[in-house]
Amino acid sequence: MYRIFSRACLKDIPTTNGAVMKKTFTIVDLLVLLAAVLVLGYSSMAFSGEPGVTEKYKNAKVPFDAAAVDVIQDLPKNTVTVRQRYRGGLFRTETRKDKIARFKCSQCHNDKPVTVHQAAEIAHGRVVLDHGSTEKPLDCYTCHDREDRDQLVTEGGQRVDMDHSYQLCGQCHFRQKKDWVGGAHGKRIGYWAGARVVKTCASCHDPHSPHFKKRWPVTYSSPNAK
Amino acid sequence: MDPHEKKICQPSGGCPSSERAGCGRRDFLKAAGKAALLGGAAMVTGCSAGPASGEAMKLRWKEYFKKHYRLMTQEEKEETVARLERLAKLKKGLDVQIGSEASIEGVLFGYAFNVSRCEGYMECVAACVRENNLDRKSNTQYIRIFELEHGQMSPEVGDGKFFHEVPVPDHFYMGVQCFHCDNPPCVKACPTGATWKEPDGIVVVDYDWCIGCRYCIAACPYYGRRFNWGEPVVPKAEITKKQHYLGNRLRHRGQMEKCTFCIQRSRNGRLPACAQACPTGARVFGNLLDPDSEIRFVLQNKKVYRFKEDLGTDPKFWYFID
Repeated sequence: MYRIFSRACLKDIPTTNGAVMKKTFTIVDLLVLLAAVLVLGYSSMAFSGEPGVTEKYKNAKVPFDAAAVDVIQDLPKNTVTVRQRYRGGLFRTETRKDKIARFKCSQCHNDKPVTVHQAAEIAHGRVVLDHGSTEKPLDCYTCHDREDRDQLVTEGGQRVDMDHSYQLCGQCHFRQKKDWVGGAHGKRIGYWAGARVVKTCASCHDPHSPHFKKRWPVTYSSPNAK
Repeated sequence: MDPHEKKICQPSGGCPSSERAGCGRRDFLKAAGKAALLGGAAMVTGCSAGPASGEAMKLRWKEYFKKHYRLMTQEEKEETVARLERLAKLKKGLDVQIGSEASIEGVLFGYAFNVSRCEGYMECVAACVRENNLDRKSNTQYIRIFELEHGQMSPEVGDGKFFHEVPVPDHFYMGVQCFHCDNPPCVKACPTGATWKEPDGIVVVDYDWCIGCRYCIAACPYYGRRFNWGEPVVPKAEITKKQHYLGNRLRHRGQMEKCTFCIQRSRNGRLPACAQACPTGARVFGNLLDPDSEIRFVLQNKKVYRFKEDLGTDPKFWYFID
């Protein structure tokens, strides 16, 4: 195509002189070649040397051996193995039962009578239930088992241990649960290397009113910040 | 004889560097310096400043003639670290532990920031300031959090100085810090080679090799670097004592500094202070070369973007949305 736009070509075509034609084509060819070298050379210069970071991580397929890191944490206390695998294998999450002040619940929730005075003191007055939509809010028994107060219960009627409450949350928040298992939701505790230990849902979200609360930032931005 | 005096008389006894042919400029200066120091030390002792200050002077002298960090052997690194620890003890009475851990093979650090999770509580900023011994006087901060309206994409139009109750409805928060570019413009701008990219991808500064020209500030399109215009002030009780030569050790006036992904923590397998402090889990940190890592999960399964990707800086810091 470039030959059509070459003045030399247009001038030479009527002469039908084979020798002249050949000569002009060589010059034009050279120019095009030069341009191609410049363009390609420049673009390859931009990516010269080492490959970009996307290429680097996409080519890395061998799992990292955490033994290469000098300091590896002791297995954190008060964690349980999650009943689901992530792609690196098994992982652990924080326990819940030891953080509930008056667990076991059946200490009070049993057939024995409780005085009014006691009930006022220990009842769940502090619990603010703000979970679910305003049209269909959740109630206590959406999650807590009516019969066995020490356990939670799924919609399907399956009892769930308090330490594995993520199974319960994941019924509705299945997308968040998938991200949590994979690592895009929630957070690891302390270490990026070694055994994966993550916070459980209720470590950050109050299960009774799970939204983060509005509050003041802990610090202010630097006044000289741009 | 006083042990310190003895050391001054035989300053490099047993040191392998003295066995090399001592005909370079540096060796000459060292020898000349030792002679001058002997006189100086004698004068100082005469002024009844005690042996401690003589030792400090000797250490500072050796520090002044140390090599660039990348040219040091592991032995030399340990020597300079030991000198710095001793100097901190002598001058400020601090028991710091300065590390010189090298990068771990098979590790390339990457970071992801969930813009739909961050609520602007600034816990990361506070944790960063404490962990990295940042100057309290000028209120240096490595991390900036921008408040953006829905639909905005760049912090250039956001509010980086918000101070009100957060989160504000219909707004999102975007944290900006050093992105540890794989093709870092700051490194190219540095005239003394005082800043470079480590094999694990962290862009670091050899504070003692920085001449304070601030070319790197001009070169960085993200404002990821901070300069010490004055002598940094950190309350003694708040100094983080676990330090790294390339990380949070105490800086001085006229030196450039920046986020190092908390090199003193990350090279020991720990999360950076910002990632650990985040109360919403918006910050994901990990090894990009590990296919099982959380960061790789984010890159494969979430919608990610990088800030000013068109500049070709190749940052190792991704933003993602739920």
